[in-house]
Amino acid sequence: MASTVIGAGITIEGDITTDDDIVVQGTVRGKVTAKEGVTIEHGASVEADVTGSSLTVAGALTGNVNANDRVDLQSGSRVIGNVKAARVTIADGAQFKGNVDMDV
Amino acid sequence: MAAVRTTTRNEEARIGSGARVHGRIHGDGDLVVEGQVEGDVALRGNLTIAAGASVSSEVVEAHAVTIAGSLEGELNASGPVRLAAGARVRGNLRGSAVAIEDGARFTGRLDCEFDLPPELGGAARAEPRPRASSRR
Repeated sequence: MASTVIGAGITIEGDITTDDDIVVQGTVRGKVTAKEGVTIEHGASVEADVTGSSLTVAGALTGNVNANDRVDLQSGSRVIGNVKAARVTIADGAQFKGNVDMDV
Repeated sequence: MAAVRTTTRNEEARIGSGARVHGRIHGDGDLVVEGQVEGDVALRGNLTIAAGASVSSEVVEAHAVTIAGSLEGELNASGPVRLAAGARVRGNLRGSAVAIEDGARFTGRLDCEFDLPPELGGAARAEPRPRASSRR
């Protein structure tokens, strides 16, 4: 279970930093930094640079991504930004605009 | 709805114990803070500041508010406010009802509509209102 959940009705304008993982169901504008996984669920909207060990996106993300481990853009996700991770998957049905850098 | 305790739903928002938020939080749902929040909070739902959590803001707005951690700033609740044992609150506080439990520390002004009992100055009025004080 994720220790930090930004619920569907919640908007955060600012920076979030956590030692654990984070699940976004609502809206975040600013910066997201997690030591562990970041999940952007379907219906969520994130306008932020995201840093974490891994990132899973099913919602909308505008911002640059830097993941230590992997990034998974699931079907239905919309991502605009540059992605930097050793392993990146982009599922059929995902929208993506930006650069991918897997040379980490 | 007037319950002091926050209901645990699937959509509940939670700032975990290892998390820090620097900025503004607003929205419709309930929020549980176990970590640190620096910035204003405006919720239409209920707010819980768990033990060990700290919130520092200019203004916190929510419905029912339960505090077991620390809060610095003005609290403006449309519902009841409960300061549990171990709570540390510095700032002005407003709620439909306010409960301060034994072991809670509070510094600030308390703005809550209720009638004083006669022995505490309520007798100074021409006629004390018949309505009992809202909650004890």
